Amino acid sequence: MDDFLYEVVEITQTIWDGVLFGSTYALIGIGFTLIFGAMGKLNMAYAGAAIAGAYVGLAVSMFFDAPIILVFAVSALVSTLMGYIVYQTCFRFIPTHNHLAALMASVGGLFLIDEVIVLATRGSPMNFPGLFEDAYFELGPFGIRGDLLFVFFIGIVSTVVLLYVLFKTRLGMATRAVAQQDVAAQLCGINIHRTNSITFSIAGLLGGIAGAMTAAAVGVLSPVMTVPLTIKGLIVTVIGGLGSIPGAIIAGLFVGAFENFFLYIRGIDERDMYVVALLFIFLVFRPNGIFSKTITRD
Amino acid sequence: MKNLSKLIGASLLLIALSIPQSAIYAGPTLKVLGWGAKSGPLKSFGVNSEAALRSAVAEINSAGGVRMGDGSMAPMEVIGYEDSACKKDEAIAILRKTASTTDAIVGMGTTCSGVCQAMFGVLQKKVEDTSDSGVQMPILADTCIRPGLAKISEWSFRNVPNEITMYDELFKWIRTAYPNVKTFTGGSETDQGHSFITYTAIIVQMAVKHGFEWVGPAVPELGPKVKQGMKELQAAAKSQHWLMGDTNYTVQARKIKKQNADMVLVASHPFSACGFMKEMKRQRVKPKLLVGLTSSASQETLNGCMSAAEGIIIPTGFAPITPEAKKANSIVSKAGGFLDLHSSAAWENAYLVKRAVERAAIMGRPDTLQQDRRNFRNALASISSQKGLIGPLTRDGSTGEADKPYVYVQVVNGKWKVIHDPNS
Repeated sequence: MDDFLYEVVEITQTIWDGVLFGSTYALIGIGFTLIFGAMGKLNMAYAGAAIAGAYVGLAVSMFFDAPIILVFAVSALVSTLMGYIVYQTCFRFIPTHNHLAALMASVGGLFLIDEVIVLATRGSPMNFPGLFEDAYFELGPFGIRGDLLFVFFIGIVSTVVLLYVLFKTRLGMATRAVAQQDVAAQLCGINIHRTNSITFSIAGLLGGIAGAMTAAAVGVLSPVMTVPLTIKGLIVTVIGGLGSIPGAIIAGLFVGAFENFFLYIRGIDERDMYVVALLFIFLVFRPNGIFSKTITRD
Repeated sequence: MKNLSKLIGASLLLIALSIPQSAIYAGPTLKVLGWGAKSGPLKSFGVNSEAALRSAVAEINSAGGVRMGDGSMAPMEVIGYEDSACKKDEAIAILRKTASTTDAIVGMGTTCSGVCQAMFGVLQKKVEDTSDSGVQMPILADTCIRPGLAKISEWSFRNVPNEITMYDELFKWIRTAYPNVKTFTGGSETDQGHSFITYTAIIVQMAVKHGFEWVGPAVPELGPKVKQGMKELQAAAKSQHWLMGDTNYTVQARKIKKQNADMVLVASHPFSACGFMKEMKRQRVKPKLLVGLTSSASQETLNGCMSAAEGIIIPTGFAPITPEAKKANSIVSKAGGFLDLHSSAAWENAYLVKRAVERAAIMGRPDTLQQDRRNFRNALASISSQKGLIGPLTRDGSTGEADKPYVYVQVVNGKWKVIHDPNS
């Protein structure tokens, strides 16, 4: 009986830790899905821009001894700018019907960002400051990381603000109009490129927050994080439903819990196998994801 | 008109001064080509090795260069440092290209142990075996540290410390230096050959050999002999291990915490070692002692987790404890790299190449290339001792391996400090 209770506690703790960490996946997934919803295209440079923003924030901390809040703010702002630049260089001048070209351009953007980071840092991992990193609450047999609670809270706040912007502001209305039917939106006087630029910038802002939060949660920043975050972001986006923000949130938390659970019961060798199997199941049985509209033939 | 002439003259002078010496020098140059991981999770190792190699070559050239077979002095030239990305197929492709399309006398690098193993495997096994169509090019490795690789081929050589000896002596020393440490457990990244195999085949085995009690997942056949119970330990170990690029270590740290061991082994490269140690710190896991992987005795670990790594002890083949080591450390730092036990070997290898070339009387002409490579290989195999950065080292020509001095370093107040020199 003791063993059973012990396992229940451990599994509960494992799932809870996974949910908290999954909030970073949710933020990354929201960025991917926002851009896909607006343009029907995937921005593969997204996570790279997020990590790059975190590096600039870290540089501010190292050279100017800036407070942590400023580090996070700088990370978000730089990623916002990078989101804008990625749109201008990888999407704006590529014909809208040419999805592959935009995808490959953004892949090139990811590699470029990665190489610049390696060049600047010699590939060395760097300590990243975190808020509440020493906070650890123990409730009976359970332990709760204060910094992960903060990350979770920031994730919720970011999502609420994003939803407010999308559904309660003219900018949000314009974004949704372009996502629905860009020609009709243009006929209504909405500037497509300006709207898409702002969408990419907003996604970049979310990415910067996600990048800084992830680095703070791990405590270390390294260019090796760009590709795994990109993959997790894509998995979350697909499972949540391409273009669905609530889907990305739920999927991010779910994937975080799911991978942690299988790490606990099956070990490191099989963890990613189960996550990819989950993705495969969704692609086969529910390709539209948890919340997106049903995909039908044209 | 006068001003224009002056401007043109000054420009020509600037251009002339910016041309590398080797481009002006009309005679043969001693060419070497390097490759290592310059992308991927271990990119810092390739970056550091390249910086060390190029710096050492610059020092050799500033002291006059290398004596060729005709008695002339020639500069050594690093004609390239390719990115093998810690991938076997990449490294093998670079090796084949280097052997067949360049006049490099030797290939230098490469980073990952699994890559070295595969790459050595395509070399000709025995020099005199004409039936073996393997690549005939000497390789001098500086980083791939997994035991026993150089004996794969007579063309393969390494300048790496012997981890079996290092950890054997380390745990023997810990026994006396830390008498209150009785039990141990640990974790490792499983997708990197060096760390995982070294952890299960060497580090754990040596700890058991010296009487420490393993309190990790049950491994009934675990014993003091290397490889005893290794498969069982590898299987058990995967339950609390991670991947090189992981960002979440909560599960593993909790398991380690539950085991409540006196000593925790963290056999992992800097990024994941730092991520794991930081998670241990968050979860209030406070063992009496931390022991790390040789490759993490580096500046990268301090950059990533100076505070969380406080107190970790690691055996290493490099520390700036001699005038030569301090000088090399300073030079390589200015060149954009860090010296550690791996990149310091790249520095030493440049001098080893110089010695072997001078012993072999290399001609350095295109028509003598293959004979030069063979002579170089023979000369390298004949070298039995060399002056290393922290002390003399010996070489075994029959295995292609080196026996290097080492020290134990510990993170003390955020810096690496040499706490014990077994050779003193």
